[in-house]
Amino acid sequence: MNSLAESRNLIEVDGLVKSYGPVKALQGISFSVGEGEVLGFLGPNGAGKSTTLRILAGFMPGDSGRVSVNGFDVGEDSLAVRNSIGYLPEGVPIYPDMRVGEYLGFRARLKGISRADRKGRIGAALEETQTVDVAGRMIGTLSRGYRQRIGLADALLGEPPVLILDEPTVGLDPEQVRQFRSLLQEVGRSRTVILSTHILSEVELVCSSAAIISGGRLVAGDTVENLKGSLADRICVVAEVSGPHKAVSAAFEALPGVSRVETDRSEDAGDDPGVVYCRYRVFFNDAGQGAETIFDAVSSGGWRLRQLAAEELSLEDVFLDIVGGEE
Amino acid sequence: MSRTRLSAATNTWAIFQREFMALFYSPIAYVVLFLFMISNGWIFYYYCVNYARDPQQITLVIRSLFAFAFFWILPLSPLLTMRLFSEEKRTGTIEVLMTAPVRAAEVVCGKFLATQLFYMLIWSSLLLFVLMLEVLGKPAGPDWGPIKSMYFGLFFLGCMTNSLGLLASTFSRNQLVAAVLSLSGNLLFFSLLFLGWIYRETPELQRLFHYLSFQAHFSSEYIGGVVELRYIVFYLGFTSLFLFLSINMVNGRKWR
Repeated sequence: MNSLAESRNLIEVDGLVKSYGPVKALQGISFSVGEGEVLGFLGPNGAGKSTTLRILAGFMPGDSGRVSVNGFDVGEDSLAVRNSIGYLPEGVPIYPDMRVGEYLGFRARLKGISRADRKGRIGAALEETQTVDVAGRMIGTLSRGYRQRIGLADALLGEPPVLILDEPTVGLDPEQVRQFRSLLQEVGRSRTVILSTHILSEVELVCSSAAIISGGRLVAGDTVENLKGSLADRICVVAEVSGPHKAVSAAFEALPGVSRVETDRSEDAGDDPGVVYCRYRVFFNDAGQGAETIFDAVSSGGWRLRQLAAEELSLEDVFLDIVGGEE
Repeated sequence: MSRTRLSAATNTWAIFQREFMALFYSPIAYVVLFLFMISNGWIFYYYCVNYARDPQQITLVIRSLFAFAFFWILPLSPLLTMRLFSEEKRTGTIEVLMTAPVRAAEVVCGKFLATQLFYMLIWSSLLLFVLMLEVLGKPAGPDWGPIKSMYFGLFFLGCMTNSLGLLASTFSRNQLVAAVLSLSGNLLFFSLLFLGWIYRETPELQRLFHYLSFQAHFSSEYIGGVVELRYIVFYLGFTSLFLFLSINMVNGRKWR
């Protein structure tokens, strides 16, 4: 994940462990994010994304392991860490009873922005998040999308070197998501960003690298190009074949470039009585000639073939594959 | 050093302002103020109509007014403080607040001071009645000495009950739980006087209970216009303890 970071790592996590009572939320997570990198933090619900981000933001301590942000230790130098981050928690909890301008003024004071700079910084943050027109509105009356942007404006206020965004696009409508992404791309140019999500396309669009977390463990981490590259040559061929299970599976597994074969025995019903079809999903490491080799294998075995189709694997599938394989 | 002190002051001031405004945003403050003035207004009216026929009775009216109003000590602080932290925890705003570069002590102090100011504002509404007597009761007028010492005592007693309420609200994300907790605390201190009465055979115990109960000082000392340093030490001691525990609670953030 450090391919972009010849300079230095702004976020370093080493062997982070955290449990809530008997529930082990994080079981030794290690990663680092370099300067100017935008890291997408992926994982299913309850994987430990929010927990990691909360620890990074200094909201709560981990049980063991080292976490440093901008060179400061989260446990020992919490104030310095919180001075160098902008944090947008999941669900954007902000005071509904304050006006937008008022709220950002309050936040600016907490972040130690001098009175002289305050107005300019708030204006810039409103400008950047395109929220100038709601500056006088009560936060409680704003739509979800606007509140999300106010949360981001708040995170940007102190011009922090590190931005930590937890599920920044959840609950937005597609148009808002699109706007939010372009905003993130804009923001990500000058800052180190770590954002959590469970939407893969988001990572493809905005992030330079991605880390996949599942069950409190880091299961994959690479630049987005590498991840996509490793996916492009994976293909799945679906074949419905009538023949002895074991022999068919074995024949498919023996084909060149096959990584694994899934058999779906539930769809055994055939049209002709006595002829039973079974659905096989054959995964190839390289796109090559998957369908042809399967056809050859079926005909040389003397079995009957009813359907043969190639399925392009999405990033989604591979994510589920990696995450599912871990459990 | 002076810079960190300055930032601590600015942070506390920012929290104080936000919290004080929030009291006016929430309906609870208005409801409390309304009930406070209605109940005390009725008592004032009752005593005026029945006893204030001759000027010497003005003192009686004022003493009765404050004696009845004193029972507001029990619910007032719980009502004002119950939302301080529990609301932030319930809505999750505590996460945004505590990931800003602020210390727990600054947050606790800002919230405490805002409540304390509002608390004194509520009590000062009683001065309207006293002013009425001052204007209409001529030539006699009220004796301001005991009133001043009463307010002095109410301020320090308020420090203690407000800090207790603040501590209670760090325990739960439910406002009601916080209110019940701090009300129980107040009742405990309140009932110590009666415990003292039960143990009146042993003067040491009775003295101890009297010292620990918070209204004993009022009935005997403040209304007489006397302020004793040891009682102030007593109130401020508990205040510091409760604030210290609150800071620890906020710092310890084990909640989720």
